[in-house]
Amino acid sequence: MTTLIAHGGHWLLNIAYFLPVVGFMAWLGVTQWKERRKRTERQQSPDCERSDPPS
Amino acid sequence: MTLPLAHGIAQREDLPIPLALFVFGAFVVLVVSFVALAVLWREPRLEQDRWRPLPDGLGRVLGSRPVEVLCGTIGVALLVLVVAAGFEGQQTAASNFAPTFVYVVFWVGLVAASVLLGDVYRAFNPWRAIGRAVAFSSRLVARGDLPPPLEYPRRLGMWPAAAGLLAFTVLEIVNSTPDDPSTVAVATLVYSVAMFVGMALYGVDAWIDRGEGFSVYFNLFSRLSVFETRDTPGTGGVLGVRLPLSGLTSLRPAPGLVAVVAVMIGTVSFDGFSEQQAWVDVGGKLGDLFGSLGLSSETAFEASSAVGLAVAVGLVLGLYRLGTAGMKILDDRNRAGELAVSFAHSLVPIALAYVGAHYLTLLAFQGQAIFYLASDPLGSGSDLFGTAEVAISYFLGATLIALMQVGLVVSGHVAGLVLSHDRALTVYSDRPQLAVPSQLWMLAVMVVFTIVALLLLLAGNG
Repeated sequence: MTTLIAHGGHWLLNIAYFLPVVGFMAWLGVTQWKERRKRTERQQSPDCERSDPPS
Repeated sequence: MTLPLAHGIAQREDLPIPLALFVFGAFVVLVVSFVALAVLWREPRLEQDRWRPLPDGLGRVLGSRPVEVLCGTIGVALLVLVVAAGFEGQQTAASNFAPTFVYVVFWVGLVAASVLLGDVYRAFNPWRAIGRAVAFSSRLVARGDLPPPLEYPRRLGMWPAAAGLLAFTVLEIVNSTPDDPSTVAVATLVYSVAMFVGMALYGVDAWIDRGEGFSVYFNLFSRLSVFETRDTPGTGGVLGVRLPLSGLTSLRPAPGLVAVVAVMIGTVSFDGFSEQQAWVDVGGKLGDLFGSLGLSSETAFEASSAVGLAVAVGLVLGLYRLGTAGMKILDDRNRAGELAVSFAHSLVPIALAYVGAHYLTLLAFQGQAIFYLASDPLGSGSDLFGTAEVAISYFLGATLIALMQVGLVVSGHVAGLVLSHDRALTVYSDRPQLAVPSQLWMLAVMVVFTIVALLLLLAGNG
């Protein structure tokens, strides 16, 4: 177990390279999910229905 | 925490600039490429078929049936030589033709040949050549057409190819004696039997195109080439040229395609990771765990490597599926699985980057051994071609190798971005506002793959 911990510094620092990408993916997921929700709400709103051409 | 961090991050001492700068530089290249694609590449350009034959009948000659038969015969002769050398030659890797031929010339050299020259393996494929020869002979004896083979199950797709490739990498990476010549010969025979059964059941071309691991593997790489042979009824084929990368856009989606590509990247990743101190630590502990279950130390080591290999393939698959699941957030029409298959071709240049960068030195240096092994394939002291005394030349310096590896990794990932962007323009042709935002996910995936590749190649072992 000593060896595992002794070399942990290498691992942690290597993993640090990925943190910005993980943060970017999280931000991307949240913003795109919000955007999709807004789009869905717009499509379902009464304004949208009124803008449809009369049949 | 002082003790572990005191080690700091290690890197190879022959790098001209710090590793962190390589990573940052690669990140910048990918982001700039992404922005340039979003601004300048507004229409799909790689989906069009712009193949044209080589001029003056050259394409017809190179793709003709006699050339195909000649190449197939050479392929069969090499297959026989590998098996014969494996069983009859000296049982050391350094003096036997079989291990160097299979692991270096075949497994790595054919990747380079496929990218440069197109699908050359299809012509040299010994199992295809034998299958076609048997079918031809059987038709002559029967004086008519043979009963049709079973229809290749659509759901089977490329899964047999993924399994075959994984089996080969288990032999290469997990097995504790992969370069034992008799092991190579036995594995070749076992694989041959499996291929003959597959061809007998489903027909030569149906099985070779989707079920034979090496055919699928080299064909995927050959789609990066500008050269492509197209079949013409009755006369064999015609060799022609096409736009770079466009061969991948014509790849037909099939079940198992994503698994094949994940195996391609994951196995090389683990091969690199297994040389790092991190795996020495984790793999050692895992081996101890298997050893405590009663396995011999050799079997325990193999079991821990098998687990590592499976985890590496799983991580590649998981990361890619995370990217396509991210695309699904905006896309309310396509299923995540459909998106994964649609964009799988964009991982092929990345697989090339991994394979090329990782095995560059193996091919450049150990590949030269085939010159003296060809003259003395059994290690019996013969000198068939007068090359038995050729020595290996280490003509590439360490810094140049590192730069070539980084160049391969970065350009492979940029090519992946290009393919992915081009496909997004097609998939979202009716909703163009989604094309660029959806590709932010692929950008993130490419950045992660790039960082992993650079860390595996350039980080130190200590």
